[in-house]
Amino acid sequence: MADLFSYDVLQVTLLSLYVSGCATMLGSSIGIPLGALVGLKEFGGKGAVKTITYTMYGFPPVISGLVIYYLFSRSGPFGSLGLLFTPTAMIFAETLLVIPLTAGVTITAVTEIDKSIKDTIRAVGATPRQCVLTVMREAWVGLVMAAMIGFGRAIAEVGAAYMVGGNIFGETRVLTTAIMMETRMGHFGYALGLGVVLIMVAGAVFMFLRYLQEKELL
Amino acid sequence: MTVAVELRNVDKRYGDVAAVRNVSFVAETGHVFGVLGPSGAGKSTLLRMIDLLESPDRGEVLLRSRNVSADARDAHLIRERIGMVLQKPVVLNRSVANNLAYSMSIRGWDEKEIAKRVAQELKRLGLEGRARKNARTLSGGEMQRLSFSRATVYSPDLLLLDEFAANLDPRNVVLLEDMVRSYLAEDSNRAVVLVTHNIFQAKRLCHRIALMWDGEIIEVADRRKFFENPDDERTAAFVRGDIAF
Amino acid sequence: MSIMVVLVLVVSAVGVYILLREEEPQALMMATTTSTQDSGLLEYILPDFEEKNNAKVEVIAVGSGQALELGKRGDVDVLLVHSPASEKQFVADGYGESRTLVMYNQFVIVGPEADPAGTRQAHNATDAFARIKDNGTAGTTKFVSRADNSGTHSKELTFWSYLGFNKTQVQAFDESWYKQAGQGMGAVLDMCEQMDAYTLSDDATYYSRVADNLIPHLNMTSGGGSDLFNQYSVIPVNATMWPHINHTLALDFLSWITSNETQDLIASYVKYGHQLFFPNTPGYVPHTTSLATIEAMLRLASVHDEELMNLEDMARCWSIHG
Repeated sequence: MADLFSYDVLQVTLLSLYVSGCATMLGSSIGIPLGALVGLKEFGGKGAVKTITYTMYGFPPVISGLVIYYLFSRSGPFGSLGLLFTPTAMIFAETLLVIPLTAGVTITAVTEIDKSIKDTIRAVGATPRQCVLTVMREAWVGLVMAAMIGFGRAIAEVGAAYMVGGNIFGETRVLTTAIMMETRMGHFGYALGLGVVLIMVAGAVFMFLRYLQEKELL
Repeated sequence: MTVAVELRNVDKRYGDVAAVRNVSFVAETGHVFGVLGPSGAGKSTLLRMIDLLESPDRGEVLLRSRNVSADARDAHLIRERIGMVLQKPVVLNRSVANNLAYSMSIRGWDEKEIAKRVAQELKRLGLEGRARKNARTLSGGEMQRLSFSRATVYSPDLLLLDEFAANLDPRNVVLLEDMVRSYLAEDSNRAVVLVTHNIFQAKRLCHRIALMWDGEIIEVADRRKFFENPDDERTAAFVRGDIAF
Repeated sequence: MSIMVVLVLVVSAVGVYILLREEEPQALMMATTTSTQDSGLLEYILPDFEEKNNAKVEVIAVGSGQALELGKRGDVDVLLVHSPASEKQFVADGYGESRTLVMYNQFVIVGPEADPAGTRQAHNATDAFARIKDNGTAGTTKFVSRADNSGTHSKELTFWSYLGFNKTQVQAFDESWYKQAGQGMGAVLDMCEQMDAYTLSDDATYYSRVADNLIPHLNMTSGGGSDLFNQYSVIPVNATMWPHINHTLALDFLSWITSNETQDLIASYVKYGHQLFFPNTPGYVPHTTSLATIEAMLRLASVHDEELMNLEDMARCWSIHG
């Protein structure tokens, strides 16, 4: 158990936070505005778009990994960028998973804002763009929740992360891929220990965000 | 005496239900025009069409003799000249002061002007001490008065009130009705359209009243005539209290 | 809002630090199998290469099939795998520049302590498989297959082929006794523990599971025969096809891993009380006094699919150690 307090585990943990943090921010900045627009605008096929978004919750992450792999493999269209087996590729793969999740939660959050508020904002003369922004602000708690759920998804990701990252020691090994490897080797106790580290780290992140919310800084 | 709002032969359906049927009336500046009738008579729909939140299926809505449409590009500009207060208090999840400032800040008004008007309204509402507090912490009556202030703080020409004092205690009802009178008194160019099912309120506030029943306008008359000597049998029965809402 | 700015800055700073820190002078991307990585051999020998060449070897451990695929697609510089048939095809198709033998480890047949199929009495591995099948179809035992196109799986299929069953026929074996797991070696051993079944395993994974006391009811029932050798080769990826590859470094790796020094190093790797890997690059003459090495090399009497050592080397080896 003392092994868990090693520099290796620290390095792996920091990389986990970096990759998942970036994926969350990138994914949320796409997913949340998209979700707000889908939730608030009326358009043909809106129902279909919503259904597709919610269906993507069940999108197999390893497929996301395969897609990114094909895109960034040397044989692939973006191969010359040399991004395969780097943290960047892992961020892209996780972002693909964060987007539908944050979009879906945002759709629900903005839809639930009372119609009287939406009408009043319009009545008061807000432009369509201002309406969307104001409703998003009213649904702020829900939007933060969307980002937090997205982070949870990203930091728990293993299949796609392994596929496009390669679990290279010191480069692309994160907590989840390390757990997979340790389990494969039969070191169940150590793997569980890493799992505890992951949960505690994720918990610390969430606690910090909650603290910010309470202090009304978020 | 100018025409603030005119409706001509307006129809509106929702699915199978004809919410508004062939409605026409004229509301003049300097006056409170009341639309009286039971809930579900289509009164709210009328207001929404006047505020360009919805379009009539048939007929015209004229604001200051100008034909307007809810789909128009500049619809939001027209709404800038209109204020609306709903039955439910609508406060945004921010401070009292910011709620008041909202309608002006979205139009990019001068900061100083905004601050001045906000201060005035806070005083009128008696909420100076709670300017920084989240508006959701106010009582129901305070929130509704705040909603009213937010709707009038940017000096709209037309004020639409949809059962704005329903469910409130007598004290707040009085305060709100006084606010309506102040609003009109400040500028002779202003008009109010009040939708209500409260006969007594209509009697207190309105200069001219229309009785709406099942989507149709049964009768329009000045206050005196409406209550003392109406043309229609149903109006008389309604005023007597024979027909309960 | 300012907190968001702070958070973004912090994350970016950490990211920049991580990215900058990894600016090594040279990196060699190597694809290998999970069993190779899990044996711990690479952590033991690679630092020597990294020091000598001022480079870092980036090890990507996946299944055999996937490793070859990475090579085909130019995503790695060099392969270290143990799937002779597939490797030969790989080079023949032009994806690999060359194929050089490096070392071998051993497969073992693992089964329930009681050995219901009587594999301990088998003459050789093929005979053991025949007994397992007979007992399986009779309902007295089970077999769990990797069923994942790994090197181990290929080896298993080789034995079935000696008994006259091609791959399709093997995959059609009755599910009541032949279980196709589609998983890694560790997981398959765990399944055998639970099901009282046999399997073909690499020795390293088996010893590892035993050391961690995860398979108390299983025993090695057959092993050590040359028919159970698992040959590793190193294959530099075709640099003409993929110009971006670190070809020079890949060739340096090839010459390093086949050098006498490194081959000795490989032989000196001991885990769970056993030497796991037996170096056998052509021209290698063992300098170590490991009797086991010599014995193992001399056990290449009847080799079905691989020349593990030619006669000259054998003679040289014999003469050095008398």
